[in-house]
Amino acid sequence: MLVVKCPVCGAEGDETDFHAGGQAHVRRPATTDPAHVTDEEQSNYLFIRINPKGLHFERWRCDRGCGKWFHAARDTVTMEFKAFYGITELPPADVIAQAKGQWAEYFANRLTSENKA
Amino acid sequence: MSELSYQSPLAGVAEPQGLSISIREITERGMIDLRGLTSDPAFMAAAKGALGVDLPTRPRTSASWGDVRVLWLSTDQWLILSSRAKAHELLASLRAALQGIHSLVVDVSDMRAVIRLEGDGCREVIMKGTSLDLLDKEYVQGCCRRMRYAEIAALLDVVEDNVFDIYVFRSYAHYTWNFLCATAKAPAKLKLFGKQDVPA
Repeated sequence: MLVVKCPVCGAEGDETDFHAGGQAHVRRPATTDPAHVTDEEQSNYLFIRINPKGLHFERWRCDRGCGKWFHAARDTVTMEFKAFYGITELPPADVIAQAKGQWAEYFANRLTSENKA
Repeated sequence: MSELSYQSPLAGVAEPQGLSISIREITERGMIDLRGLTSDPAFMAAAKGALGVDLPTRPRTSASWGDVRVLWLSTDQWLILSSRAKAHELLASLRAALQGIHSLVVDVSDMRAVIRLEGDGCREVIMKGTSLDLLDKEYVQGCCRRMRYAEIAALLDVVEDNVFDIYVFRSYAHYTWNFLCATAKAPAKLKLFGKQDVPA
C-alpha cells in the first residue's frame, strides 16, 4: 500500500484516495512552437515515456480530497515517496540531485533552459 | 402539463430494522456550490457579505452562521448548506454580491442525497467502507471531507460527536443506503475500539 500526501490540502491517505496520472513533466511541443512541430517530437510527446528502475517523477490527483493535481517523486524499486510538490513546480533540489539517467538529463536541460530565460 | 414536485432520492425506502445505530435520510436540504479564488479579497468579502460568515480556508473544516453552514470542499470550492427555501434567497444574494467577480454559484440541491447516522458506534460503521481513521483527532465536530466510501465518492460531515452526515451523488443513494443498512446491522457491530475516548 502506498501512503500519499497531497501538498495542496495536506490530506494523507491510501493510494485508493488518489489517482495516478502517469509521468510528470511531459511537455507538449505545440505549446511552445505550434508552427514547427516535427512528427518525431509529436510522437515522443504522445507515446514515449521514461520507465526507470529507481527514482521516478509522476503526476497524482487528490481524487477524494481537494481534487487538485500535484507531482510526486517515487522510487519504483522501494515504492518510497521522496517528495510531493506542486503541479507547476520542479522537485526539491536534493531530490533532483538523486535523479539518474534520462531524468538527470531532463532536469539538467530544464534547469539550463530556465536559467537562460 | 404535469406538476413539478420534489421527491427525495430515498423516498419510499423501508425503515431499516435491527441496526446498531440510527440511519435516516435528510430531505429538504438546500445546497449551493460556490467556487472562487481565496486570493481575491473582493471575492472573500462578497461571499462573507452574502453568507454572514467567512468562508473556511483551512482544509477539511466548516463554518456555520445561524442555519447556514459552509463546508470546505477544495481550495477554491465550498458547499453551502441551508434549508431549501433559504437556498433560493442565498443563491440570489450570492449572485448579486459576486457580480463581476470571477466566481461560480450554482444551486445543486438536487445533486446529492444526504444520509444521517446517529448513535454510539457510527465511526466504526463508516470505517467499514473507508480507509480513513475516524478515531483520529482530526474528525471532531466541524470537520468535513470528501472520501472514498464503499468504492464511491462521498462527502463526510461531522455534525456532532456521533452524528455524521454522508453526502453521495443522487444516483448512488440506494446503493449507499443498502450498504449502510448491511454494515450497521446490530450483530455486525464492531467492538474493535471499545469505549475509546472520543478525540478531544
